[in-house]
Amino acid sequence: MIAEPVGIELVGHFATVSQQREAAKLGLWAWLVTELLLFAGLFLCALIIRIQHPAAVTLAATHLKFWIGAANTAVLICSSFTMSGAIALSRIGWRAGMLRFMLATAGLGTLFLGLKGFEYYQDYVEHMVPFLAGPYVLARDQATRLFVDVYFITTALHGVHLITGVSILLVLTWQASRPHFLARHQNRIEVYGLYWHFIDLIWIIVFPVLYVLNR
Amino acid sequence: MNGAPGPAQYPLLLWPQAASHAAVHVDWLIFAFTAVTLLLTVPIFLAITYFALMYRSGRQVDRGHTVDRNVKIELSWMLIPFFLTLAFFAWGAQIFDVEQHAPANSLEIQAIGRQWMWKFQHPGGQAEINDLHVPTGQPVLINMISQDVIHSLYLPAFRVQMETLPGRYTQLWFTANRPGEYRLYCSEYCGTDHSVMDGLLYVMSPRDYAHWLSQAGSSQSLAALGKKLFSNYGCSGCHGVGATIRAPDLAGLYGRPVPMEGGGSVIADDTYIRDKILNPDNNLIAGYKQVMPSFKGVIPEDELMQLIAYIKTMESSS
Amino acid sequence: MRDPATPHGTIGQPSDYLHARYTLRSWFFTTDHKRIGLLYLASITAFFVLGAIAAGLIRLCLVVPNGQIFTNDTYNKLFTMHGVIMVWFFLIPSIPSTFGNFLLPLMIGAKDVAFPRLNLLSWYVFMTGALFTMITLILGGVDTGWTFYAPFSTTYSNTYVIPALLGVIVVGFSSILTGLNFVVTVHKMRCPGMTWFRMPIFIWTLYATSLIFLLGTPVITLALILLVMERAFHIGVFDPRLGGDPVLFEHLFWFYSHPAVYIMVLPGMGVITELVAAFAQKRVFGYKFVAYASIGLASITFLVWGHHMFVNGQSQLASTVFSFLSFAVAVPSAVKVYNWTATIHKGNIRLDTPMLYAMGYIGLFVLGGLTGLFLATLAVDAHLHDTYFVVAHFHYIMVGGTMLAFLGGLHYWWPKFTGRMYPEAFGRVGAFLIFIGFNVTFFPQFILGYLGMPRRYHVYPPEFQLLNILSSAGSTILAVGYFFPMIYLIWSLWFGKRAPANPWQARGLEWTTSSPPPPHNFAVTPRVDFEPYDYAIKAREVG
Repeated sequence: MIAEPVGIELVGHFATVSQQREAAKLGLWAWLVTELLLFAGLFLCALIIRIQHPAAVTLAATHLKFWIGAANTAVLICSSFTMSGAIALSRIGWRAGMLRFMLATAGLGTLFLGLKGFEYYQDYVEHMVPFLAGPYVLARDQATRLFVDVYFITTALHGVHLITGVSILLVLTWQASRPHFLARHQNRIEVYGLYWHFIDLIWIIVFPVLYVLNR
Repeated sequence: MNGAPGPAQYPLLLWPQAASHAAVHVDWLIFAFTAVTLLLTVPIFLAITYFALMYRSGRQVDRGHTVDRNVKIELSWMLIPFFLTLAFFAWGAQIFDVEQHAPANSLEIQAIGRQWMWKFQHPGGQAEINDLHVPTGQPVLINMISQDVIHSLYLPAFRVQMETLPGRYTQLWFTANRPGEYRLYCSEYCGTDHSVMDGLLYVMSPRDYAHWLSQAGSSQSLAALGKKLFSNYGCSGCHGVGATIRAPDLAGLYGRPVPMEGGGSVIADDTYIRDKILNPDNNLIAGYKQVMPSFKGVIPEDELMQLIAYIKTMESSS
Repeated sequence: MRDPATPHGTIGQPSDYLHARYTLRSWFFTTDHKRIGLLYLASITAFFVLGAIAAGLIRLCLVVPNGQIFTNDTYNKLFTMHGVIMVWFFLIPSIPSTFGNFLLPLMIGAKDVAFPRLNLLSWYVFMTGALFTMITLILGGVDTGWTFYAPFSTTYSNTYVIPALLGVIVVGFSSILTGLNFVVTVHKMRCPGMTWFRMPIFIWTLYATSLIFLLGTPVITLALILLVMERAFHIGVFDPRLGGDPVLFEHLFWFYSHPAVYIMVLPGMGVITELVAAFAQKRVFGYKFVAYASIGLASITFLVWGHHMFVNGQSQLASTVFSFLSFAVAVPSAVKVYNWTATIHKGNIRLDTPMLYAMGYIGLFVLGGLTGLFLATLAVDAHLHDTYFVVAHFHYIMVGGTMLAFLGGLHYWWPKFTGRMYPEAFGRVGAFLIFIGFNVTFFPQFILGYLGMPRRYHVYPPEFQLLNILSSAGSTILAVGYFFPMIYLIWSLWFGKRAPANPWQARGLEWTTSSPPPPHNFAVTPRVDFEPYDYAIKAREVG
């Protein structure tokens, strides 16, 4: 292991490095609060639909692919571990190890997306996509559409965040692979890690609210 | 406009006519609240004007001994106006409470709002479009629904309005006490002709109202119409006497709790019955196998009201 | 460092931020918060003009009761665009994105906001949202009202609802990024000695507003996304035919849109506090109460949204709770009004244009706020909901309040932004015309509402014509009033008297640097060891 110098380069309008570092962290936390509220609205809708149409929701939930969802949950939790590993290694300057952890995280995120895509494909094949033209397997009970549509919107919105997250992570990994990155921008790894953990956290709420509670 | 002369005769009106006691109560609330408002604000306006002139830059006047904070003053001018105004919250909530609870002997008129007209159905079957005739001295309950978007029935002379929603019944009630012609509006924006979805509210003495009813061209009451529909749509095939299919007994159903399959119960009100006709798979009833077909897209809103009117009259046999 | 050497010119000093560079690139790729503030100022002024034209056409149409000037569909599109543009493209960004961007770092002694490039991105996101809205206009407009209620907007409207919704969704992100930037700036970028309770009240209100930006905007983003999904894919959440509920949309919409009106109100209150202190040359009375009241407003405002829904079939219990909380939210506002009055008491008053606007604000805001309490009273709202009373109420707050605060602040800080003074006589004439024109336009609408005239009406019963004509006449006076500052402020850019660093002898860090400020705001980082609005000391010095 070759340790590199670790630090942050001061940007003009900040007075000190610690001010810059704290500002970046607080900024991302503020952003995450807004994201949480965005998803909270969807969770609220899911809850209200469940209260108003309990039988329809239970019926619709039996058509969700529970085991794919469960596998995806495990995948994301692992990816949070690898991201934490990347952060820890960035703090001690072990660039090679940090890059491996970052790639692993991106890989796990991509695996999630692949499994999700497969799940969507299965939904399509089973005619569980009421918002598209074509047969809908639960057409007899129109209220099931509400739950199924909210499931698609919530998981798709989460998926969009995950795609964005993986893309940024890959760019960040490429940047971090250049020399002197850790000496100048170490906090970027930490701040990014907050976002990744948040994507994980949202899924950890999505999975029980949609897949588990309604069985 | 749909209106004839009547309200239009008052171009210089600065206060709307009141056609019910409740309207007058609301007016008293407004007057009192206005008085308190003036009590709280006129001193501020006067003070600001006075200070701006009195302490104008250049004037030789004592500006000494100013304080920058005084917790007692701050708390009192926070709390005293708050508690004063709360009296109006309570008064308004009390009148509103009365408005939410129609008396049991109310004359029930059905109303349907749709783009861009109102249809009213009196219990005797008389129907009117956009205009509404009501008697004085008798509580009148308007039970209403929308056929498409959200509308709102607004009767300024009674100081009440209530939105009509698609898929759910809402209600407003009043007791008129001043005969005359008043305005009736849709007050929830609903599209192109929202502003011409209005009509005239005719408040009449009970005798005039009875006379109007007899002239209004109806042969059958809502309930009688509903009875015919009950048979025509095949409801009696399962819910009638001698049916081979075991279906819930509708006699005495209205207003009673209905046990649900998953536990708990639901009160059988207008919205429940309407929903059961259109979406029988919702709210499955305990102890019955659900085989009722859905009548969604088959029975229009006004016929649903007639059916419900009939079901309300079905007396319990025991 | 209370009175540093204030340069009257820029000889021997680094050039100011306005004249440092002239290229288009230096403006459109700037990360200087002051230039970004001016970019916003130009944009929102343009949108204000568009929204005002729509308003003028509405008032024109309402001169006759039979609606023959415009067709009903055109009229419906006019009031929708008026609302959408004024709310999202003028009022919400007005004070925070112009004054806030320009002044926040100056007032706390910082060189810039925490994230200058994010700040620029905010403006580009804002313009992208505006682009969608312009596309909607060009395609033919939208007629759902700015409230976009389902199922009309999702199923029955035949206009360009989705582009309009996309415009609002996108512009919401601009708000979020600005709010985020401000919150971090206030927490982390204060200069040495600038504790929380030494900050000007304007900063407190900006901070409170930014909290609302962060917590409220995501919910409307979601509500409108669901609306787009509903219209495009019939997902069903708002469609009763599929088991959904249109009232759910109302809850999601108003959960943001009520706090949104406080986004429009709070910064205005902050501006007025600055104006009153400066033109009374006196400390703000009860500074801490006013600061806490700002945070209190931003908190309680999230609890009152149901007062827009008293007559939509909501449960009586819910309505009663919301009514009570709506009475409570009036308390922090009242605090400010009383405190302003006490600040003026025994002050050293100068009635320049900004002070005229401030005093007009206090009167009109009080009236607007108290009519809000009328509407919060359940039995009264049953009569007044969706009538012109509501229209008058919110215009008293938005125009009589926020707009006057905006104009007052614009005049007050104009020398700081541009280095020029505006012509005072014209300023006063403009202020009077606006005040009178505004009242003639909107006071009759209280009466119209009480008489029962519903809002969003293209034709109306003939007995309302007299008051409508009066209102439209007032709007002409108001329009003339608006022309005054538009013309003389631009005139002053070339011909106005050059302004010293502190033309008003006001307190506040922004007045300790040159007019206009240098690109990095302060020649030397300020160190604060004095209280805010420490006028009393100066007054004692004067005698």
